[in-house]
Amino acid sequence: MLLQRAAVLLLLTAIPLDAQSTLTIVAPAAPGGGWDQTARVMQRVLAELEPGTNVQVDNVPGAAGTIGLARFVQSERGNPDALLVTGLVMVSGVITNASPVSLSEATPIARLTGETEVIVVPAASPHRTLRDLVDAFTQDPGSVSWGGGSAGGTDDLLVRLLAEQLGLPASRVNYIAFSGGGAALAAVLGGQVTAAVSGYGEFAGQIAARQLRPLAISAAERIPTIDAPTLRESGIALDLANWRAIVAPPGLSDAEHDALIARVTRMATSEGWKNTLAQNGWDDLFLAGAGFRQFLLAEQARVEAVLQRLSRADPTAPTPVALAITPATVPTLTMAVFGVLIASLIVSRVRSRVPVATQEAPGLNMAMMLGLALLLQPALMLTAGFIIASTVTFAVTATAWRGVRPAIATVARDAAVGGAFATIIYFVFTSGLGVSLPAFVLLSSFVVLP
Amino acid sequence: MGDLGTGFVVALQPINLLWGLAGVTLGTAVGVLPGIGPALTVALLLPVTYGLDPTAALIMFAGIYYGAMYGGSTTSILLNTPGESATIVTAIDGHQMARNGRAGAALATAAIGSFVAGTLATLALSVTAPVMVRMALAFGSAEYFALMLLAFVMVTTVLGGAGARLAGWVSLFLGLALGSIGIDGLSGQARFTLGVPYLLDGIDPVIVAIGLFAVGETLWVVSRGPDQDQVLPVRGSRWMTADEWRRSWKPWLRGTAIGFPMGALPAGGAELPTLISYAVEKRLAARPEQFGHGAIEAVAGPEAANNASAAGTLVPLLTLGLPTSATAAVLLAAFQQFGLQPGPLLFAHEPKLVWGLIASLYVGNVMLLVLNLPLVGLWVKLLSIPRPWLYGGILVMASLGAYSVHRSAGDLLLLAAIGAIGFGLRRINAPIAPVMIGLILGPAAEQHLRRTLAISQGDWSVFLTRPLAASLLGVAVAIVLLAVVRADRERRSAKLRRP
Repeated sequence: MLLQRAAVLLLLTAIPLDAQSTLTIVAPAAPGGGWDQTARVMQRVLAELEPGTNVQVDNVPGAAGTIGLARFVQSERGNPDALLVTGLVMVSGVITNASPVSLSEATPIARLTGETEVIVVPAASPHRTLRDLVDAFTQDPGSVSWGGGSAGGTDDLLVRLLAEQLGLPASRVNYIAFSGGGAALAAVLGGQVTAAVSGYGEFAGQIAARQLRPLAISAAERIPTIDAPTLRESGIALDLANWRAIVAPPGLSDAEHDALIARVTRMATSEGWKNTLAQNGWDDLFLAGAGFRQFLLAEQARVEAVLQRLSRADPTAPTPVALAITPATVPTLTMAVFGVLIASLIVSRVRSRVPVATQEAPGLNMAMMLGLALLLQPALMLTAGFIIASTVTFAVTATAWRGVRPAIATVARDAAVGGAFATIIYFVFTSGLGVSLPAFVLLSSFVVLP
Repeated sequence: MGDLGTGFVVALQPINLLWGLAGVTLGTAVGVLPGIGPALTVALLLPVTYGLDPTAALIMFAGIYYGAMYGGSTTSILLNTPGESATIVTAIDGHQMARNGRAGAALATAAIGSFVAGTLATLALSVTAPVMVRMALAFGSAEYFALMLLAFVMVTTVLGGAGARLAGWVSLFLGLALGSIGIDGLSGQARFTLGVPYLLDGIDPVIVAIGLFAVGETLWVVSRGPDQDQVLPVRGSRWMTADEWRRSWKPWLRGTAIGFPMGALPAGGAELPTLISYAVEKRLAARPEQFGHGAIEAVAGPEAANNASAAGTLVPLLTLGLPTSATAAVLLAAFQQFGLQPGPLLFAHEPKLVWGLIASLYVGNVMLLVLNLPLVGLWVKLLSIPRPWLYGGILVMASLGAYSVHRSAGDLLLLAAIGAIGFGLRRINAPIAPVMIGLILGPAAEQHLRRTLAISQGDWSVFLTRPLAASLLGVAVAIVLLAVVRADRERRSAKLRRP
């Protein structure tokens, strides 16, 4: 125990020494949503706590965060300086969408916040109370459109659970998915959807400005700072809390894993973080390490059970109204038209005896050689490093441009200029701008082996 | 105007002035250098500006866009190779003026015209943007879908000129097809990923931009063999004569009036307004026979038009999130990288950023006038970089940019493949901008379509019953029909001419 603490302490003191390190926080949703807000608050608090660290937020929206998850698990594998914001939405989204990548592939770090969901209508809406909205919904479920985050996320889940409580099949719910609460905001403000569901923080500004009317919150008990009844107070036996958490990429060593937990713990217990939680109306649900891992497994099981129950109670599935055209319709049509266009382009050029390519190309062979060299470049980049690969690219391009059988001296001069250019660029971008580029393998092995 | 005042407070902060200066300088440089343009430069800078303050980065990017419009004319005039696609027309008479020893006057009318047009058009942007924002709030998914469809149709028919109409559609659908690869944003289903995990994430527009513009262009230049253009020295007076002033100011104003609205329309950027300006000036000129032999009006008008169109492009980009040119498409990706979604809500949520950006354009125009008139000699030196090294450097920067997006060598393979496609498109004379517009707007258009139908419960008639959506769609259909009719007429007259 003491040893562990000492290790954590050592790691903490080691972090500030690593000046100009970059931490990337991926928010797998569009700007303005709860995950985006979480990432940006983390960015601000971490920047105060670790002045030497450059904290970046990367938005990868779509599909209940599963697009961001897929990218994160693949391209950040083994990177100890990357974090992904996740939460109940993703747990549910992975199951609903039968996502090709699972959340259990990432390394759990900590649960951070909890938040109540809120049901809102635009200020001009005829629905004054939840009862009004529910009555309209029960009479003609299709006429009430619900805006919210990705299909299968917490927002969608809340609407479907509400429908279940009202005795309506989930397939009758007209749920319009947006990539995050921020994107749904414009739609509800513009009156494009009847009502919207999201985390309270995402709508808090517009509720305060009286542009949106909160009809009910999903918390179990009334929240003093929010002027809206709970669902239970409105006579619907339902409560649902959203939670948000942070995970790291797969393939980390134990030390790297512990260091990240220590960093996030320090952030989540800081003054700045707690102040922001209060401001945004988020509950502090901090839980790190093994406890969070168990919680995650329990949530996955619980959500899976709820989703199964919802789809069982739904005999008419899978024909939800929301998919008048399936996800495959537009892409298939696009590809088909593209194929037809290419075919007719070739046919028309052949028939009118115009060559398919309309211009003279004396250097076509050279262009092909250059294209081939570019295809081989990735392999060279990974083995020989950026400088050598770029020198080769530079020299080949210059030679190809000259378009004549190259004299050795000319190629040597091109390579020398290219080498100098690549070296300058390498150091400007790695040391100056903090971009990591593949190093010269031979050089680094020389340095390692004295 | 209070908003614009706040904007100036932001834009005049020393740090933002510095980024603005960096942007316009870089922009002028890439404008001068053939082979690199603003779209490519912004795409290359995206991965390394993650950590920057969004306002500073966007001020720099907008400076690059404006700067390239100024710099392109220098190359057109002195080298007869357009530095930018927007300055192709300038090369016709500008280069003739340089041969006649009036290079100084040509450069001056281009720079001053750019300044006048840039400033007036930025003023027009400041006035129209708030009006557009109020209109844009009434836009629902149906209207956005109709607007995007109109953008597809217009960009394609306008840029797919005579003999390349089919090729324009090939470009557009290539972009749409690339855009549909990856996980669907609404349902989470993987589409066209062929079981390759790399493709789940979709095709990154930044890599496509770098591939099409840097790699495709280099392959294209190489395939045409070395060219032997000579840089003409700037001889004679650097200043315009009274007669040249008199002949310039009207074309500047007309160029602005043509460029700004055309830039705001989804017509694919600055090429079309410059061509129209040239045609208008030729018709109105006292001595139209001078056109093609060094008429100053033919430089003044188009140069004003391309700068005004750059400002015009920003209107739909900032207020609707709708890019109308390739550079605007990359700028949209830049906004999204910083977690900002251009549209009516951006003006409400980030007034300092938006107005700071707009105010920086006024400042940038002044900087550009200084950079491009007294200091033009410096830029001419850039043209003495040997071409083989220039293109070598471009490809090194391109692979650096593509690699640093996700630090993935797989992206370099994609870069080479996209480059080959870009080369193929140039070989069949197909425009490049529709690929970028299709790739970036395609997925958004699909989501708006599906959302519209979800809200209407599968009833397609909403597109006819909502007046704005219906009229936008009507215009789109009319444009397609017109293009078909015209293509048919061309084909017939071609048949008649053939013996």
